[in-house]
Amino acid sequence: MNADAKPAVVVVRRFDASPERVFDAWLDPQIARHWLFSTPDGEMVRAETDARIGGHFTFTERRNGEDVEHVGEYLVIDRPSRLVFTFAVPKYSDEYDRVTIEIRRLDKGCELTLTNEMSPEIYREWGEQTRNGWTTLLDSLAALLDDENASDEGAITR
Amino acid sequence: MLSQLSSGPRSIGELAAPFSMTFAGASKHVKVLESAGLVRRRVQGRTHICQLDAARLSEAEAWLRHYERFWTTKLDKLEELLLADADQQKSGKESAR
Repeated sequence: MNADAKPAVVVVRRFDASPERVFDAWLDPQIARHWLFSTPDGEMVRAETDARIGGHFTFTERRNGEDVEHVGEYLVIDRPSRLVFTFAVPKYSDEYDRVTIEIRRLDKGCELTLTNEMSPEIYREWGEQTRNGWTTLLDSLAALLDDENASDEGAITR
Repeated sequence: MLSQLSSGPRSIGELAAPFSMTFAGASKHVKVLESAGLVRRRVQGRTHICQLDAARLSEAEAWLRHYERFWTTKLDKLEELLLADADQQKSGKESAR
C-alpha cells in the first residue's frame, strides 16, 4: 500500500456458473433484487436498473417498516468481464463508494474479484483525522523518546 | 517513523533508512513505540514488520471489515441463487423428458 492508495476491500469468489450468468445477476433487477441489496428479513419494494454507462440503479428494501434505499451509477459495463459502479445508502451517508467487479472465465465456471474502494470524501476526512492525530502523537512521542534516550539503555532493552 | 508507518507496514530496515539509523537503533525506537501501544510488530522469517496499531487506524479497519462482511454475505446469497437456479433448470429438463 503506497501513500496514495485508498483503503479497499477485495473479495474473490469462484462460481460454478458462466461469467455471463454471474455478470447478469448484477444488472437484471429480477435477479439482483433477490440478493444484491437484500437482507434476510427485509422486503424489496423497488428494484430498478438502467443498465448502461451513466445509468442509475435504485434498490429499496423495507426493513422493520423503514425504507432503505441503495443508489448508484454504472461507470463501466463490459459484459461479461468488468462492471464498475458507484454506490451509496443515502439514509446512512451521502458518500459514494466505488465498486469494481472483474469476472474471469475458468475451465469450469468463473472467478469474480470484487473491489470496494472507500469514497474519496470519507478517505479525505479520515486521512485528515489521522494526520491530526499523528501530529499530536508525534509530539508526545518526541518527549517520550527524549526521556528514554536520557535513561540507561539497559532499561528499555528488557 | 510514525508518518512512514501511517502509509503502510514497514520493515525495521525500511524505517531506519531515512534516518541513517542502525538496525539496532531503529529496533530500539520501535520497542518504545510498541510499549506505548502505537506499533505492532510481527516476525516474518528474519524480517520484523511493523504496523501502526492505534484507534485512528482501527476506524479504517472497521470500515474494511464491515464491507468485507457485507460483500461476503451478498456473494454467498448469489452463489445460493445460482445453484438453486441450476438445479431448477436441471429438474425442469428432466421432467420435460
